[in-house]
Amino acid sequence: MINFEEELKKFHPSLEVEEAEDAIYNQDLTDMADLLVKMIKESEEKSNEVT
Amino acid sequence: MFCYNCGCHLSEHDYCTACGADVSLYKKILYASNMYYNEGLEKAGVRDLTGAVTSLRQSLKLNKNNIEARNLLGLVYFEMGEVVAALSEWVISKNLQPEKNIADDFLSRLQSNSSRLDSINQTIKKYNQALAYCNQDSKDLAVIQLKKVLSLNPRFIRAHQLLALLYMDGEEWERAERELHKCMDIDRNNVQTLRYLKEVEAMLVPDENVRQPAKRKKEEAIRYQSDNEVIIQPLNMKETKRGGASTLVNIGLGLVIGLAVTYFLLVPAAESNAKAEAQKSITEISNASDAKTVRIQELEMENGGLSEEIERLNQELEGIVGADGTLQTIDSLLEAASKYLETQDLEATAADLEAIAQSVNLEDTSEGFQKLYHMLLQSIGPELSKNYYQEGYNAYRTGDFATAIEYLSKAVYYDETDVNALFQLARAYHRNNDAENAVATYDKVIELFPGTESARSAQGYRDELSGE
Repeated sequence: MINFEEELKKFHPSLEVEEAEDAIYNQDLTDMADLLVKMIKESEEKSNEVT
Repeated sequence: MFCYNCGCHLSEHDYCTACGADVSLYKKILYASNMYYNEGLEKAGVRDLTGAVTSLRQSLKLNKNNIEARNLLGLVYFEMGEVVAALSEWVISKNLQPEKNIADDFLSRLQSNSSRLDSINQTIKKYNQALAYCNQDSKDLAVIQLKKVLSLNPRFIRAHQLLALLYMDGEEWERAERELHKCMDIDRNNVQTLRYLKEVEAMLVPDENVRQPAKRKKEEAIRYQSDNEVIIQPLNMKETKRGGASTLVNIGLGLVIGLAVTYFLLVPAAESNAKAEAQKSITEISNASDAKTVRIQELEMENGGLSEEIERLNQELEGIVGADGTLQTIDSLLEAASKYLETQDLEATAADLEAIAQSVNLEDTSEGFQKLYHMLLQSIGPELSKNYYQEGYNAYRTGDFATAIEYLSKAVYYDETDVNALFQLARAYHRNNDAENAVATYDKVIELFPGTESARSAQGYRDELSGE
């Protein structure tokens, strides 16, 4: 049975056009590739420190 | 595909031919990103937009520089009515790859049409307003706003879903179903849509007959506020489509009603006016007739008065001219006088005078008549009185007092100065035992002839009577 109040909570206000700019700037664009590169670089730095 | 370390073009090897960096894992990530992109593309091709969004977002989580995936994600968002999200993806895409990017084309199309962009923005604002109405429990207003949103942007899935949810809350299952089917036409695999649809179908199929009245019982009008005015918009108001036959029937019915109105309203009104005019004429004629009737009555009364006057005058004339009239009496008097002058017959003249005195009141006659009557009476009176006195005295002597009274009365009448006749009349009354007339006659003797022997004798007899 659908609960109207609970279902209503799932709806959120839509971003207006004026707010798009802020949304774009605040968007976290970090992807898996970035994490991989970061991890590789950190790993290389650690190995260099060890050697 | 480029090396994450030096940016050189990667070959089929697991390391960069330029810098020697290990790119095997990096390549797997990019391959996975491309795989998700392909999956998203396939899902978008079959209108599984939700699935496409999931795959494309997964693709971008693996590789944010997958421009095709980002552009496609923007396109899917745009198709779902999420214009700002689409714009965001296209702007990021444009920033990541300024050249040879189809997102540039998409953005140009939107930005070149300012009215379209403004319309999109209004749609978003109205949707947010509708959501606010829902949270304020103003569901009617929310429905109105959502309908406006969908008229501007028919592919806005969230608006369809929210509207369907409102219909479901109002137990308007059929409407909710229609909205959800519209969602399905745009996005065939939206989990929320499918869940709502399942609920709606569950409510519709088994208890359809039971729930119909409840649905109808719901509001038949919706209200919303536009500026300062509250607008009430009736629901379920559709003009029925009717065929030509029903139109003709309606026209015929209208004509019949028109004729009936004419017959039952206008004709009676005209008849009433005619009756009023006729009644007015009748009233005027009646008034004139009444006036004439009154005039006739007045004339009749006048005529009656005149008739009575004529009758009275005729009677007067008859009294004057008739057998017992004044003229006849005058003629009788003149004839009696003429007869006396010719014959000197005292008896006959006395009889005529007595007849005249009986037929007329002497006081009502003319002065000349009275004068002639009295002259004639004086002429014959003394002589006639002597005759009557003699006859009366003789009767007295014989003891016939009644006859004596008769003759002596006539003797007194014709000659009032004859004291003997008056005294003898008194004596006749006395001897006839008529004391009352006797006393009266004695009194006349005493009064008219005082100091005479007759008066003294009369006084003696009167005293005698009084003594008795």
